[in-house]
Amino acid sequence: MNWLINVVRSSIGKKLCMALTGMCFCGFLIAHLAGNLTIYGGKDAFNAYAQRLHSLGALLTLAEIGLLTFALIHISVGAILFYGNLTARPQRYEMKKNTGGRSLGSATMPYTGFLLLLFIVFHLMNFHFVDKTRQSIFEIVSAAFQQPLYVVLYVTAMLVAAVHVSHGFWSAFQTLGLNHPKYMPLIRLAGLVFSLVVGAGFGFLPIYISRMT
Amino acid sequence: MTTAKTIHLTLKVVRQTGPDQKSNLETYAARNVSTDMSFLEMLDVVNEDLTLAGQDPIAFDHDCREGICGMCGAVVNGRPHGPQEGTTLCQLHMRHFEDGDEVVIEPWRSRAFKVIKDLVVDRGAFDQIIQAGGYISINTGGAPDANSLPVPKEMADQAMDAAACIGCGACVAACPNASAMLFTGAKISQLALLPQGRPEAKRRAAAMVAAMDKLGFGNCTNERECEAVCPKNISIVHIARMNREFLKAGFF
Amino acid sequence: MGLESRIPAGPLAEKWDRHLFELKLVNPANKRKFDIIVVGTGLAGAAASASMAELGYNVKTFCIQDSPRRAHSIAAQGGINAAKNYSNDGDSIWRLFYDTIKGGDYRAREANVYRLAQVSNLIIDHCVAQGVPFARDYGGLLSNRSFGGAQVSRTFYARGQTGQQLLLGAYSSLSRQAAAGKVRLYARRDMLDLVVVDGQARGIVVRNLVNGDIETYAADAVVLATGGYGNVFYLSTNAMACNVTACFQAYKKGAFFANPCFTQIHPTCIPVHGDYQSKLTLMSESLRNDGRVWVPQTPGDKRAPGQIPEAGRDYFLENKYPSFGNLVPRDVASRNAKEQCDQGKGVGETGLAVYLDFADAIQRDGREVISQKYGNLFEMYAKITGQDPYETPMMIYPAVHYTMGGLWVDYNLMSTIPGLFVTGEANFSDHGANRLGASALMQGLADGYFIIPYTIGGYLTGGGYKKITTDHPEFKAAAGAVASRIQRLLAVKGKRTADDFHRSLGKIMWEYCGMARNNAGLLNAREKIAALRSEFWDNLLVPSTGAQFNQSLEKAGRVADFLEFGELMIIDALARQESCGGHFNEAFQTEENEARRDDENFTHVAAWEFAGEGQAPVFHKEPLVFENVKLSQRSYK
Ligand SMILES: Cc1cc2nc3c(=O)[nH]c(=O)nc-3n(C[C@H](O)[C@H](O)[C@H](O)COP(=O)(O)OP(=O)(O)OC[C@H]3O[C@@H](n4cnc5c(N)ncnc54)[C@H](O)[C@@H]3O)c2cc1C
Ligand code: FES
Repeated sequence: MNWLINVVRSSIGKKLCMALTGMCFCGFLIAHLAGNLTIYGGKDAFNAYAQRLHSLGALLTLAEIGLLTFALIHISVGAILFYGNLTARPQRYEMKKNTGGRSLGSATMPYTGFLLLLFIVFHLMNFHFVDKTRQSIFEIVSAAFQQPLYVVLYVTAMLVAAVHVSHGFWSAFQTLGLNHPKYMPLIRLAGLVFSLVVGAGFGFLPIYISRMT
Repeated sequence: MTTAKTIHLTLKVVRQTGPDQKSNLETYAARNVSTDMSFLEMLDVVNEDLTLAGQDPIAFDHDCREGICGMCGAVVNGRPHGPQEGTTLCQLHMRHFEDGDEVVIEPWRSRAFKVIKDLVVDRGAFDQIIQAGGYISINTGGAPDANSLPVPKEMADQAMDAAACIGCGACVAACPNASAMLFTGAKISQLALLPQGRPEAKRRAAAMVAAMDKLGFGNCTNERECEAVCPKNISIVHIARMNREFLKAGFF
Repeated sequence: MGLESRIPAGPLAEKWDRHLFELKLVNPANKRKFDIIVVGTGLAGAAASASMAELGYNVKTFCIQDSPRRAHSIAAQGGINAAKNYSNDGDSIWRLFYDTIKGGDYRAREANVYRLAQVSNLIIDHCVAQGVPFARDYGGLLSNRSFGGAQVSRTFYARGQTGQQLLLGAYSSLSRQAAAGKVRLYARRDMLDLVVVDGQARGIVVRNLVNGDIETYAADAVVLATGGYGNVFYLSTNAMACNVTACFQAYKKGAFFANPCFTQIHPTCIPVHGDYQSKLTLMSESLRNDGRVWVPQTPGDKRAPGQIPEAGRDYFLENKYPSFGNLVPRDVASRNAKEQCDQGKGVGETGLAVYLDFADAIQRDGREVISQKYGNLFEMYAKITGQDPYETPMMIYPAVHYTMGGLWVDYNLMSTIPGLFVTGEANFSDHGANRLGASALMQGLADGYFIIPYTIGGYLTGGGYKKITTDHPEFKAAAGAVASRIQRLLAVKGKRTADDFHRSLGKIMWEYCGMARNNAGLLNAREKIAALRSEFWDNLLVPSTGAQFNQSLEKAGRVADFLEFGELMIIDALARQESCGGHFNEAFQTEENEARRDDENFTHVAAWEFAGEGQAPVFHKEPLVFENVKLSQRSYK
């Protein structure tokens, strides 16, 4: 197992951790979004989806543990990288311009990541760790989004998520070595589309819900 | 591009007398600068004036002045090697500046590159990365005939793209994380592309990455600033190939 | 001291093999007991260091730059020759040998040149095995191009960066040995003296350029691979740090300097454009394959090139040399350009340039084809001059490019100081009075990879000397002398910078000892240099102190040596009362204005011995014997 520790501790290994866990989150986002879209089918469809999901039982718990583990890895390795990169240039430039490589997403990765962490904690406290025996999930959700502050918060968070994945998506491919001059433009485009889907897909939900009732 | 024959500039240069000294920003006037001059020739003239005025001239590294030795380099107005794409500082000409411009000149900044004096930094870390494995382990004598192993032309061309690296350090200077992955990736990639380099490709990738990590460079977050400033236009495709080689070495 | 060239007996083709056999071998276990110093990490130095370390010697390697990878060899563009005959056009070792001897205007040693041609093929094999990405054809085999007037295609190349790729190959081998602990690298060191103990080279004195410390290093043998001295002209295509200091200090310690006046002027360089100019940039010779060289018919015609009609143009190379046209050898092309400019027909602001016009080629082949061939060169030209060669003709002018002269060495590459070996451009080399394109890289690597690793063993087994350390009084004395010289430079506190003196020296050398020379001019130059030298020691200004990073001080030391060395060049040029290759004395030319050799009196190497400060150097002659080629007059009409 020594070899694994060596790989993971190396710079590229750390990137690998970020890339793999990041890609899993992308997968999770797709699934989550697909599930959430049932809300457009109305209250019953949404509740039915929630019920079906929870009927998975142990499988769901397993997935949750998996996601939690990935999150811990993504967060802690990200924090290590952030700190390491901060110290790699002890003396800053008097004047530094970007030359065209950097994007909004890439430049803000650690910060958007941190905001998303806060948001996820908040999100879980609101919709996950709540008593669902007396209210259906739909009721919880629609009650929440009656408050404009919630809507604004959620929409903003989704924009932040979009920015984060706009860099994270293609970046994961690059890190895994899946860069080919022929396909990279496609991958980058896919990343952009994905971030739009995430931003718009999730972002419209709170607005829609707030208008439902 | 200016068409004026001569221009006047205000230089703001980061000066530092020695390795562990504090740096400060000094202002100098560069008057009557011919637009046909190279950037380094402009500094030569400023230095001549400083010397005659009894001041210490600005120290900067340079040698070939043809854009190939990789010795020169400074961050000019926030950009390593200055504003012109695909150009080293020694090949940058003053016609790319306008009369009255203010020009801020700073050394490469990175934990792994200590400042020696003014704009001169110690890039010994690059040599150490190469020593860790940036070679093919053969001794002189006994090589087979050069044509005994065909190399597909496109492979040779891609290897040459990577091999064009001049080791100037602009990639590190430009990287928001002061990472050396473009430099390291270019060498690993060059040798991995050639059949001659395949036998020890894994060992090389593991060893060079380990050396790079130890030397205090930051970690790549795929910002792509390195390829944007590289005077030889080396692409991050080579970083991806390094990642691939490294992961192969780690997992297989 | 006589000059013993130690050329082995026997037929030309067998000399090297026989010599290899006769050289005593060092027992593998004993190699690690020997320390060798190598100064220089260009092709010659890096290759020598790596190969000797592979054999087991302990090598200490020094260079001026911050990394061995930046030696001046990195700048070579065109390519490297080898007699592989991959192009199947009739090349052979013999032909490469013959071309090199003839190209050198019969002023090189047959035996050395033949050996060079012999090992040329091994170089290519080795470099490919090292991972040098030479250009290849679609079939995956190595591609060749023709170069420098040769009639066969024998030049291997890696885009326009052959020197870079070869050097990075040698540097990678060097790095491998450094990692293995067999080579210790000392970068940012300036060799300022050679230490000779009991008549043998035993070490060096260097200045640590980072902190100014004077350091001494001892060894059993010293290899100088410090490159050429083209910068004596101030403006040249050489890198800024190229210097004569290491060789000149060795000369002062007893190594003879051979043929110092043999310098090569390259015809296609970007012209000087101002007083501030710090160096000149070479444009590959290959441009002359398609470009046409011309000047206006009438002196002083200041019209833009496009305004001058065909009838108003003088295509002087095509007119004068109908059969070779624009492709005459370097020295001929250079001299003719100068001649035109001397007549007032030069173009550009300074009048020191001729046109190299691609308009016809573009019309004939199309812009596409021309851009494929020369795109990167055109780009480089545009970057430097701000002009587009697709639209307006290039301007070119000759510039100093290479120095054939250097420290005298025998067949083993050992100088007249036992234990001091000299490789690469630093030795007086295999190129005679003129070097052919793409053969300097070949020679540097031949010396480093395939000659010195063997010949040095032959010397070391000779023994006869004791182990010493840097505590030896000679080291103390040499270090003391270096320190006091530095103090002297700093103490002048005058009003002119070293660069300023260098520029003045360069003007004198270029004017009187450049492309064309004459006795009156040379005598005049000798006086001017003496005057400049004395002003230097009265009026030099070096800022700051010696105990720190001080580039002005480095420069001043180099200029001080150039000021003495320039005079040696003049003395040599005066002594050689003939014209040959790069040395063109106007009094000796054929009716066609070609160099006229005097084979009867000057078929020799001129080797100069230092006779003490202020004394005229002592002349020594190594006669050149030609048993295999017939001396003939070059003609390109
Ligand atoms: C622009 C240009 C293009 C060329 N193109 C070609 C070509 O296409 N084909 C070809 O065959 N040849 C070409 N040449 C010639 C060729 O490049 C050189 O002759 C050759 O590279 C010299 O190699 P070298 O190893 O002898 O010396 P260099 O490469 O000059 O190395 C000298 C080394 O010595 C060190 N050194 C020097 N002085 C000291 C000192 N005092 N103390 C410590 N270290 C010192 C330097 O740091 C350096 O490491 C070209 C030359 C130029 C200028
Ligand atoms: S001085 Fe050599 S690359 Fe600029």
